[in-house]
Amino acid sequence: MSNSLSALPPRKIASPWLWPLVWGALLLLSVVAMSAAEPLFRWIEPDARQVVYDRVDFYVLLGRHLLVVGIAAVVTIVVGVAAGVAVTRTRGADFLPLVGQLASLGQTFPPVAVLALSVPVLGFGTLPIIVALMLYGLLPIVRNTLAGLQEVDNTIKSAAHAMGMTPTQTLRQVELPLAAPVILAGIRTSVTINIATAALGATVGASNLGDPIISGIVNGNMAYVVQGALTIALLALTVDSLFEVLQHSLRSRFTAP
Amino acid sequence: MSLLDALPSPRLRWEGRHPNTVLVSLSLIMLAALWILDVVTMAPNRIVQGTGYGALEALGWPGAILASLLLSNLGLLAWQPSHRHYRALLATVIMLMTLMPVGLMASSYLLIDPELPQARLGLGAAYWVVLFVLLLCLIEIRLRLNLTRFWPTLLLCGVACVWWLCAAFWLDSLALVQEFNARDQQFVRAVGQHLRLVGIAVCISVVLGLVLAMLMRRYTRLQKGAFAVLNFLQTIPSLALFGLLLAPLAWLAANVPFLGQLGVSGIGTTPALIALIAYSLLPMVRNTYTALEEVSPDTLEAAKGMGMRAGQRFWQVRLPLAMPVLLEGVRITTVQAIGLTAVAALIGAGGLGTFIFQGLGQAAMDMVLLGALPILMLALVVDAGLGALAEALRPGGTR
Amino acid sequence: MIELSHVSKRFDEETAVDDISLRVPKGKFCALVGTSGCGKSTTLRMINRLIEHSEGEIILDGQAIEVYDPVKLRRRIGYVIQHTGLFPHWNVARNIGLVPRLLKWSATEVQARVEELMDLLGLPVGEFAHKYPHQLSGGQAQRVGVARALAADPDILLMDEPFGALDPITREKLQDELARLQARLHKTVVFVTHDMDEALKLADHLVVMREGRIVQQGSPLALLQQPADPFVESMLGGLERGLKQAALTRVKDHMTSMGPTLPAQSRIPADFSLRQALSMMLRDHSDRLAVVDQHDVPIGELSLRRIIKEAQLDKGNARE
Repeated sequence: MSNSLSALPPRKIASPWLWPLVWGALLLLSVVAMSAAEPLFRWIEPDARQVVYDRVDFYVLLGRHLLVVGIAAVVTIVVGVAAGVAVTRTRGADFLPLVGQLASLGQTFPPVAVLALSVPVLGFGTLPIIVALMLYGLLPIVRNTLAGLQEVDNTIKSAAHAMGMTPTQTLRQVELPLAAPVILAGIRTSVTINIATAALGATVGASNLGDPIISGIVNGNMAYVVQGALTIALLALTVDSLFEVLQHSLRSRFTAP
Repeated sequence: MSLLDALPSPRLRWEGRHPNTVLVSLSLIMLAALWILDVVTMAPNRIVQGTGYGALEALGWPGAILASLLLSNLGLLAWQPSHRHYRALLATVIMLMTLMPVGLMASSYLLIDPELPQARLGLGAAYWVVLFVLLLCLIEIRLRLNLTRFWPTLLLCGVACVWWLCAAFWLDSLALVQEFNARDQQFVRAVGQHLRLVGIAVCISVVLGLVLAMLMRRYTRLQKGAFAVLNFLQTIPSLALFGLLLAPLAWLAANVPFLGQLGVSGIGTTPALIALIAYSLLPMVRNTYTALEEVSPDTLEAAKGMGMRAGQRFWQVRLPLAMPVLLEGVRITTVQAIGLTAVAALIGAGGLGTFIFQGLGQAAMDMVLLGALPILMLALVVDAGLGALAEALRPGGTR
Repeated sequence: MIELSHVSKRFDEETAVDDISLRVPKGKFCALVGTSGCGKSTTLRMINRLIEHSEGEIILDGQAIEVYDPVKLRRRIGYVIQHTGLFPHWNVARNIGLVPRLLKWSATEVQARVEELMDLLGLPVGEFAHKYPHQLSGGQAQRVGVARALAADPDILLMDEPFGALDPITREKLQDELARLQARLHKTVVFVTHDMDEALKLADHLVVMREGRIVQQGSPLALLQQPADPFVESMLGGLERGLKQAALTRVKDHMTSMGPTLPAQSRIPADFSLRQALSMMLRDHSDRLAVVDQHDVPIGELSLRRIIKEAQLDKGNARE
């Protein structure tokens, strides 16, 4: 346990907020000022009548996309972490093997298949998307919660118990904070996948940033496709870099052995 | 001596006194589903929404009672679990799964009016729930019996064969079968396209991944940059990447005639393939790199000491030892590729995704199923197969 | 203060602790010694109810242990384990302040107490308060562990092989510090170890355990002079017993006043042990040593004959 951290040379990183700001700014720019780039799009698609997607405003599409992913994220985080905690307690231990296996098996399901399968059950619209996102996004979070909680050293848990912490206090003050980095990584995976899956929403009747892409493909309008693709890529990069910042701040607070 | 070492570990005798809460609750869920939810739906033709039918109507008295008995049997056996009981549970689960198409045949007999050739039977919520929960039971039993993946996979293959037989000969009224029959050539072609795309993409990315990983190990400065680029690509949603590739490729095809002749075009296989390879590279390179790195340096040192040359060391020691992790990477990549290829159907690449999107467009749910179910099964089979292969090739044997 | 009366612990068919009876008076240091699996850790963990005893009575401070709420009990007993169990995501100050915070002390009280303990354990506040466990050496981490155990000022301190994972030099340093702390704080300590020398050095009351039973208990000197059976004797070092006994006696208790002859060449401080005196005699080829005080002024004399004769007398006066 020697002080090895001080041996590292200081890295010349700019503020970790650099990338999120860059991507975020580009995202806002694209959403608000899409029509300003009309000449560029005209060059890409000289024959179409209309080159800037304007059936719905881009910022509205962004809002809907964020809404869908956001709702799914909140629900999956709450349910996923709760489920992970529940099966790692002694009372829920019976369900641990099954839940663990299911969570890792579920990774093999292609998200598009899950989305497609939710339509027969739930019809068209925004609801099947949210449900499919929730179901699919649950798995990385549960898996990582399980992994994170199980990694917490038993000696530490015994020490907490022996010091006089109640099981709830141990969970809140010791286990969850120590498992937090891994759980956060799972949330990041879940949200990233969901942003991509939600884009397919246009095929099931929801409306979000996938619309221009799909509409462009269907109508053969490359400009639409580029606009949609650009916006959604920027969204994904912004969110991902935000998570990177979050993970970085967690990591630098302590490095668990 | 740590705290926990001081305790003689209380040996759990084979769970003699403790009921398996998981299986008991799962069997209760299935019983509830059987009696509360619709077992099948019947629609007079393709367009009209079907009406639901409960257990008694769909299966008749004998069928419903048999199903309930088998399901209760699950719960009872799980109450006092022992090794013998778990084997009996496995048998019950397999039997239930094999009888499911039989139930459909009964429903077809009971409900379908032979005068209406267009009438179709759909699987009701109860069927889906029971099927899903039975698979959960299978997983649970496999875990408790400590079986490797081999036996359950074999048994599932057997069950699948039985379903296939029933579907081919006796289940013409099932909506899914009708959809299939209506376009069976198309289906086979789509499966072929799908497999071809996945296969080519994975093969190319395996080779590229190997090359890149080896380069990164030799020139360490390349590492950070390469991983950064690959991570960047991975973050971009697949649909976006597919979309972004269309324009430049279309331009290329239009302006560089020899590429156009090769078959490069703005839609279809080319952009799909490029995007698939791009997405496959990250897991492939990462896994290959780690696999090659983590081969024990002691082993390689010994090989060197015995007079093996660098090339011999690589091909005869490092690579074979890295194989299991490499296969893990191939597994992850392939499963991911199967899913992404489905999305590629949107840009005209063909494959099983076409059924999904066509079905969604026409609001024909059974066509959606025709596309989604095979994709799901394909992913699971590949996952199980490659997983078993990786386990088998692990140096020192399994577990 | 702590009393175990015919206490046993059974796990399914195995008996980990078999009918032990033990008393630790307030302010005394009791060491449980034995090989692995002899039940010493299990006994320790019954005292703070981490394990519930199967038979017998455990009485803490006059009350049966069942009377106490387990969680509250543990907050009032200090507990130190071999691998520290420090929380890696909290810095040193926060780790030490754990129990006071659980007991809802005010922030200023906690802060003051943390600083007081860090001083006591030789950890400069400015340097260590904000460090994290992974940045500490083994010895430093265990000091934090002890500080944490003492934070709420418990009367009872339980220690389970706390120095077992440390290198010999650090171990010795920490043993000396513990002895110093104990001389100052007078906690009631129950200390588990498999290292007999450590136990002999620190304990007021020594308990030798084997296969769940107490084989012998008493003061270290009493055990050294009269081991109950060959097992205890071998644990006490067999032939080395004599030297270990000598290590426990101070020169000043056995010196004679200076005689008319010239003072001996070799000088030994009065508070050194007889074992060190014997070693010096061997080293300097002399059977006489001059005893000096802390200012190096001769105050007495120590002869080899005296040491051997005294040992015999001591056996007769073995104190319990």
